[in-house]
Amino acid sequence: MPPAHEVFGDELIELLPRLRRFARALSGDPHDADDLVQIALERALSKSHQLRAGAPLAGWMFGIVRNAWIDESRSRGRRKRLFAPEERVVEVADPAAGNQAESLMVQSAVAGLPEEQREVIGLVLIEGLSYREAAQILAIPVGTVTSRLARAREALQAQLGDAGGGI
Amino acid sequence: MKVSDEMLMAYADGELAATERAQVEAALAADPELRRRVAAHRTLRTRLSATYDPVLEEPVPDRLASLVRAASPGPQTARVIPFPGRSTPSRPWRQWGSLAAGLVLGALLWQFGARALLSGPVIDRNGELLAAGSLARALSNQLAAGQSPSTPVQMGVSFLSRAGDYCRTFRLRGTEGIAGLACRQQSEWRLQVLAHTADTPASQYRQAASALPPAVLQAVTDSIAGEPLDAADEERALAHAWRAK
Repeated sequence: MPPAHEVFGDELIELLPRLRRFARALSGDPHDADDLVQIALERALSKSHQLRAGAPLAGWMFGIVRNAWIDESRSRGRRKRLFAPEERVVEVADPAAGNQAESLMVQSAVAGLPEEQREVIGLVLIEGLSYREAAQILAIPVGTVTSRLARAREALQAQLGDAGGGI
Repeated sequence: MKVSDEMLMAYADGELAATERAQVEAALAADPELRRRVAAHRTLRTRLSATYDPVLEEPVPDRLASLVRAASPGPQTARVIPFPGRSTPSRPWRQWGSLAAGLVLGALLWQFGARALLSGPVIDRNGELLAAGSLARALSNQLAAGQSPSTPVQMGVSFLSRAGDYCRTFRLRGTEGIAGLACRQQSEWRLQVLAHTADTPASQYRQAASALPPAVLQAVTDSIAGEPLDAADEERALAHAWRAK
């Protein structure tokens, strides 16, 4: 067995792509997202002793990213920028993945959601967590996750249509 | 029975318990409008994945990884990949060596460029290999029925394992014909075996299972409980986000 801190570091590095994806969903901007992941990593590394042995690292880290986002967006007034996302989201999509227009439309719709709905969309529909896992991370009841998710979906479907743009 | 929109959504997300699921399925059978709404919920998830999953395939900025490395010294990348992470003593994975030389995962990733695979469709978390990116998307969202021969990831057979997880075989195109078996555990696709296979022309994909390399077929035979899922079962499993009861 390697020392615990090494395992922690390895796991954290392997989690980075997902943390970046979640941060991207929250912030809508690639640079802000990476800044956010950096802040979350600094916090996590400084309090890694608080992670219980055997507790899932991913859930713990998603919670830290989410809290860091709330703090950051409050302190830097990012909320304003969030609602004018057109030119800011251009880089989010990988052009090689094709259908950039569809991707921009989806990102813009996500960026337009209220914070509490966007984080639920990020955890459940983008990160693939269960309602229960999302509820634990957000420290809210499962029923609240369900109702926020339902409202978020309704808003996204109203904006995007439900025909499924070029998949 | 009246099915609320939240219930339909939870159904589409695979969140309902068996009784509620049965209720919703009964209602769905009788009402095309409900089926359309469930489909819309699933479409939304697919569109979100298609939009955000490419982030997983981007290179991670050095500043992030080095921050972690600086805080936890030690080799981060040079590990040979043990395979798989959660083998059981009753099924020693050493067997693979004797089944087909060169088909052991670690060696395979080494041989075919761990980097190419590890930065794309496969991630290594602490020695456990997980599907990522396009592979994870295909495993979660792509039915075996009606696949275009040009899709980058071809799904083969799906089945319930004796451990009670949904498992699926797949082939990656354009990566020297890599095929494998992944099982859904704790909301992730864990790779059970990967094998190199002679590239098969598109026309032969029809017999998806028989086109699989022996090591993958063997892994299926060793872990399958009962029969492979038929198209309808597969669709249902997908609808429940591959969460077994």
